[in-house]
Amino acid sequence: MIVEGICVVIAVYCAVRAVFEPKTLKKLPYLNVMNFAVAGTIVLLIPHPITVFAAIAYFIGSTLESNAIASTFAQLEGE
Amino acid sequence: MTDLILILAIFLALFGGIAALVVRSAFDKLICLGILTAGAVLFLVEKGYLDAAIVVSLLMPVGTIFILLLLGKKREAAK
Repeated sequence: MIVEGICVVIAVYCAVRAVFEPKTLKKLPYLNVMNFAVAGTIVLLIPHPITVFAAIAYFIGSTLESNAIASTFAQLEGE
Repeated sequence: MTDLILILAIFLALFGGIAALVVRSAFDKLICLGILTAGAVLFLVEKGYLDAAIVVSLLMPVGTIFILLLLGKKREAAK
């Protein structure tokens, strides 16, 4: 039970850090750390075989989302 | 310990939503929506609705990518 608690505390810390960071491109690493921590928490939370698929789906979706935000922002900044 | 994870998931979702209301830039709003979705998925997994968590995780980046496709045409959105 301790490990999930540590993962969730890391996720909350990185969410607070990402919101209060002033620059947009510096928010994105904290968002990635929060997504990794949440994916780890999903696997560790309940003992059920479908949690692996839930974690895989969340990992793919959140990585796709944050990379799409980063690439669009960089494209707008470069012009 | 389980109550701690539940409370932190609710805090994550509420914090992301309130930050998405307060923050000015459009990309920062999308990042805050990502934090909100992380809290919601963690809450769903904690309650045991794994199928709903999988569907939410896979449909979250679709909406974000549609918003980014509209946002990529506006030059002033990057400020």
